[in-house]
Amino acid sequence: MLDRVLSRKRLLELVDELAHARRIVGPVKQNDHYFYEPVDRADRLDLDFSYCVYGPKAFLLPPTQTLFRFKQHAGTFETTPEHNDEPLGIIGVHPCDVNAIRLLDHAFANTHPDEHYLTRRRQTFIVGIDCPGPCTEGVFCGDMHGNEATTGFDVMCYPLSRDDTGGDVRYGVVFGTDAGREFILYAQAGDPPSVEDERAFERYQIEKQAAFPQQIPYGVDTLPDLLERSYDSLLWQATARRCYSCGSCNLSCPTCYCFNMFDEQELALGTGERKREWDGCQLRSFAEVAGGHNFREAPASRLRHRIYRKAKWVKEREGIAGCVGCARCDRACTAKISSVEIYNQLAEER
Amino acid sequence: MPLIERTSMYRGDSLYEPRPAEITAVEKLTADENLYTIRLDGGGPLGHDPGQFVQVSLVGIGECPISICSSPTRLEHFQLCIRRAGEVTEHIHRLDAGDTVGIRGPLGHGFQVHELHGKDVLIVAGGLGIAPVRSLIQYILDERSRFGAFHLLYGARSPAEMLFQTDVIRWRENKDVNFHTTVDRPDEQWRGHTGVVTTLFQELPKLDPHETMAIIVGPPVMFKFVVLEVLGRRIPQKNVYCSLERRMKCGVGKCGHCQANNVYVCLEGPVFRYGELKALREAIG
Repeated sequence: MLDRVLSRKRLLELVDELAHARRIVGPVKQNDHYFYEPVDRADRLDLDFSYCVYGPKAFLLPPTQTLFRFKQHAGTFETTPEHNDEPLGIIGVHPCDVNAIRLLDHAFANTHPDEHYLTRRRQTFIVGIDCPGPCTEGVFCGDMHGNEATTGFDVMCYPLSRDDTGGDVRYGVVFGTDAGREFILYAQAGDPPSVEDERAFERYQIEKQAAFPQQIPYGVDTLPDLLERSYDSLLWQATARRCYSCGSCNLSCPTCYCFNMFDEQELALGTGERKREWDGCQLRSFAEVAGGHNFREAPASRLRHRIYRKAKWVKEREGIAGCVGCARCDRACTAKISSVEIYNQLAEER
Repeated sequence: MPLIERTSMYRGDSLYEPRPAEITAVEKLTADENLYTIRLDGGGPLGHDPGQFVQVSLVGIGECPISICSSPTRLEHFQLCIRRAGEVTEHIHRLDAGDTVGIRGPLGHGFQVHELHGKDVLIVAGGLGIAPVRSLIQYILDERSRFGAFHLLYGARSPAEMLFQTDVIRWRENKDVNFHTTVDRPDEQWRGHTGVVTTLFQELPKLDPHETMAIIVGPPVMFKFVVLEVLGRRIPQKNVYCSLERRMKCGVGKCGHCQANNVYVCLEGPVFRYGELKALREAIG
């Protein structure tokens, strides 16, 4: 069921309104690729983007982030935590990345809630743009159910049709939160959906179902069990022989959230910051302890760790899939290691 | 449904901020290990379980995870045995009494002492493994009437590497504990037992397998051989505990470094039952 119908032109006007109160980030084309970038005007956004090279994770979990500032004096120290509560609007988030953000929300809220993430997240307004079909070759979001988002956004816009006259897109809009409802209805933007709109939405969903090719013929639900039985497969070694342990898969992944912590002293000694920065489980020293023992010394054990996290462990721990099927890892890999290929090769061993 | 469960949200300032604490005493234990006695600023107990750990900070340098090696029954301070092994611990070794460190914790899941109450206890420690388990040894000695028989086996590589020598002397004379030590490589002064820690099992009386809780803390290679001895004496797997070491950064189940298969050692551990570890292929190596 749709909540509203809206033209793209009107949506962009609303985004310009939103920009008075929030920093706006969205897909921008640079040298034939799209990236999430801050923009000052909505017409700089390209909402027809295929996919962004990286997801919008960096705006919620920055590559480096200050956790607290410290000041040493009189033999002791004081700390001041740092939280960024600048209001943010991320415009044009595809369902895969909405689902990836849902996982981050859960991972940073559970057990020991992490205010550094959650403060930013609470101040973030998300406008989703649905995908009628795969954005590029090789994605397996249809298999991973990453191509459907039912929560995690403030509004989701389904591109129902292009207007014949001006080439404008007509969006069917679903509200995900009260803030999303206010965003549209306070401005009295768009129209209530007509019977034809609802029919168009049904057609859209049927056509969408057919548009995503199945990449994992054995089915994604079999993966946890398949992996459980594949711990000792030689495939890990055979594949990891090609791995450079460069961590590009981690870097490009919208659901990777592992981090390292380090201190930065300022020139005026005694003051500085403790920060965190993205880390990657494929890097050689990720599980190395002081004294030199490395719990995952072999590249094969690190590859297996990543694949298990993505297709089994994160889901078991957090209840939300650790992989959304965007295939950014596969595209980023300099050695052309593909997670879909690994899943299918393991299934064929059986 | 709200995007984030707000009710469960920690409203404190930061999970990662350390509290200042004063080093009140430093004791040199071996060439590479010192024992630090620490008092939180403002006093008050740390509030830990035996087997838990803290993150020790030197602001400007960094942070490292260290097991608490004193019992929560000793309220006025707590102790950390710190081996010089990396950048942060190297700097800690330059500190003296009166200096300040940062403390975050207690963290992790320690020994649930109520599960041990009323039971016989066998503790087997190897090398630096004596440090985390010392918190439990002190607890048992301080609350002695709550426990049955208490056996303690401790193996070190050499006499010079034997930790807590003051304690070792006291424990040898203490009738409340059946205590035996061994070293792999004796020196000329060593008059005690020589050999790996499993050779001390011959010193044990017959154990009551259903009344004995076994705690094994040491390097992975020792762990396997001690488990064999313990299971061979028919102690059920659920009554066997151990403590794991891993790289840790956040200490609160976020950063991913300490993950062993699908377990976060900083959250679900470092203390585990053997029954839980069996399924974790990466846990014991």
